[in-house]
Amino acid sequence: MKVHVNTFANLRDYAPAGGGSGEVALADGAGVADLLAALKIPAAVQAVILVNGRRSDAATRLNHGDEVTLFPPMEGG
Amino acid sequence: MYGWCGKVLRVDLSRGSITSEPLDPQVARDYIGGRGFGIYYLRREVDPRCDPLGPGNKLIMAAGPLTGTAAPTGARYVVTTKSPLTGAITCSNSGGNFPAELKKSGHDALIIEGASTRPVYLWIDGDRAELRPAEHLWGLSTHAADDALRKETREKAKTAVIGPAGEKQVLFAAIMNDRDRAAGRAGVGAVMGAKKLKAVVVHGEGEVALADPGAFKAANAKYRDAFKAKTRDNPPPLRTHGTAITVVGTQSHGVFPTRNFQQGTFEGWESIYGETLTRKYLVRAKPCFSCPIACGRVTRIPDGPFKGEGEGPEYETVYALGSDCGIDDLAALTKANYICNELGLDTISMGSTIACAMELFEKGLLKESEAGLPVRWGDGHALVALTRMTGMREGFGDILAEGSLRLATRYGRPELAMVAKGLDFAGYDPRGEQGMGLAYATSPIGGSHMRGDPAYFELLGVPVPADPHTWEDKPPLVAKWQDLFGVIDAAGLCVFFSVRYLVEQNLMVKPVGITELLNGATGAGYTPEEVETIGERIFNAERLFLLAAGFSRTNDSLPPRITREPMPAGPARGMVCRLEEMLVPYYRLRGWSPEGVPSEAKLGELGLLSNLKARE
Repeated sequence: MKVHVNTFANLRDYAPAGGGSGEVALADGAGVADLLAALKIPAAVQAVILVNGRRSDAATRLNHGDEVTLFPPMEGG
Repeated sequence: MYGWCGKVLRVDLSRGSITSEPLDPQVARDYIGGRGFGIYYLRREVDPRCDPLGPGNKLIMAAGPLTGTAAPTGARYVVTTKSPLTGAITCSNSGGNFPAELKKSGHDALIIEGASTRPVYLWIDGDRAELRPAEHLWGLSTHAADDALRKETREKAKTAVIGPAGEKQVLFAAIMNDRDRAAGRAGVGAVMGAKKLKAVVVHGEGEVALADPGAFKAANAKYRDAFKAKTRDNPPPLRTHGTAITVVGTQSHGVFPTRNFQQGTFEGWESIYGETLTRKYLVRAKPCFSCPIACGRVTRIPDGPFKGEGEGPEYETVYALGSDCGIDDLAALTKANYICNELGLDTISMGSTIACAMELFEKGLLKESEAGLPVRWGDGHALVALTRMTGMREGFGDILAEGSLRLATRYGRPELAMVAKGLDFAGYDPRGEQGMGLAYATSPIGGSHMRGDPAYFELLGVPVPADPHTWEDKPPLVAKWQDLFGVIDAAGLCVFFSVRYLVEQNLMVKPVGITELLNGATGAGYTPEEVETIGERIFNAERLFLLAAGFSRTNDSLPPRITREPMPAGPARGMVCRLEEMLVPYYRLRGWSPEGVPSEAKLGELGLLSNLKARE
């Protein structure tokens, strides 16, 4: 299956294909943890994870066509 | 005293007199400072039913015990007064260098009362203070006034000034310090203008004395080291891109207010958010006093119709002057931000009022002949023109200067003002962020995000995430955070560092780090529990002022767009804010009656009962 990934700020360093966003192919049944591993995001790098606009975490299961957004925790405006 | 200077300056503008008063050590302990001192003096000295623009109102400018120390973000002061925009209390908070300078001059707070017949400014040079004529400064922009004032006092002096908007009593005029930092909300600048006080200029060379320098230094090093360790792998987005990076969080959750809160997603968001600002216009990041984050933005628009330079925009400005007006032109909204800074206007209420005018125009209720120009969604030239006209009260700007609620009421549609208690919302739509709805509705100053900001845990994952769509769990969280923010505002710290590093890392935040720093500075020997209770005391004292000013449960409300019109699209599609379901348990756990009145038992517990009776 494929998911669409958007990355922001320092998480762009781990974007699937430059430019900050792109498709990532994962095995069927994969979850957010598999995606983070595929993107090679180190454990020390913190990310807020949204799947289709809803807060998620490493345990969240993914489905084909999901939109995943990754941005650093921020201290608001 | 340690941490505190022990001195309050009382400035009577009617008599032209200045007196120095000792700070009562018990008041210092019970209210900490900043916002705490603000509500203490306001309740004791100001009739809640007074005319906000009359001589009976007072402006209380107060720093905290950590202001001017090496504590991370120890840069803040709070301006407390009765708001001319809302009739409620307002307490607006700002950083920069002016607040630390006030402490270095040996003062914890200024109480400014009465009104002058002629323009004056207050010049504080260490121990000496005087009122000086300011006719020659009246009419100057905030930047020109800052230049002139430092020339005629000391080049190194720090200023807090009003611009033409404050002089003309635009109801959401700001007090600008260090040129581009704003105590922005609910018209503190209009109160200063009504008193004919153009500026407070301060210079000081003292240092804030610390009760236990070793303990203070150790606590300071611990939290600064934690910040450094975390930021090695996680460069702080607020430093790299400024607060405008927050658009990513609000847009992705579908709560980025768009076209006067008709939508929660903005199709043009990528043109106006933090990374675009960095790429196109950022000159450098600018920290406030003692701040390791440096979220401030010095920017420059090199060419085109909106050419200019200055500071900003912050996230709230990007929402208010951007998406909320349908504006995807970053240069236009940045230019409008510069004008707000120079004329002395709150960018949030300015944008929200123009957004309201745009909706009235698009609905055919406001005619071009009345406005003097077409006021269409997305028109950057109209945005810039209307901002300038409002600050100068020219043409239709004279009507916009009264704010969104009076504007919408004038056209028979008060529900189109996106306000709580008459104060315009910050940049978070409560339909997709339930806790924010409760926070807006119960904030003592009205629609502010800075009275216990749920966006941290609902959207931004700080210190840990909570689901923004649930409402059942929000009353205790919002109450807890409201009290915590009272503590941060009293201590003289900035929330950006505090909510990440100076609290326990869970949702039921406990101000552990803040307490360590307060104790090192003041020697008060606070426990975190006692400090939390002070936050609750401040919040309840503000509530008492609000009730005495004539507000009631019916004012703890949100517009029908938020509570009855489902969000049309995006991740929060179909949702409304479940305010009523949250209010009942919220009042109960606060120890308030079903009418939202603090019980005698709660007031007794907080030491507010005798205080109240003494005044009556």
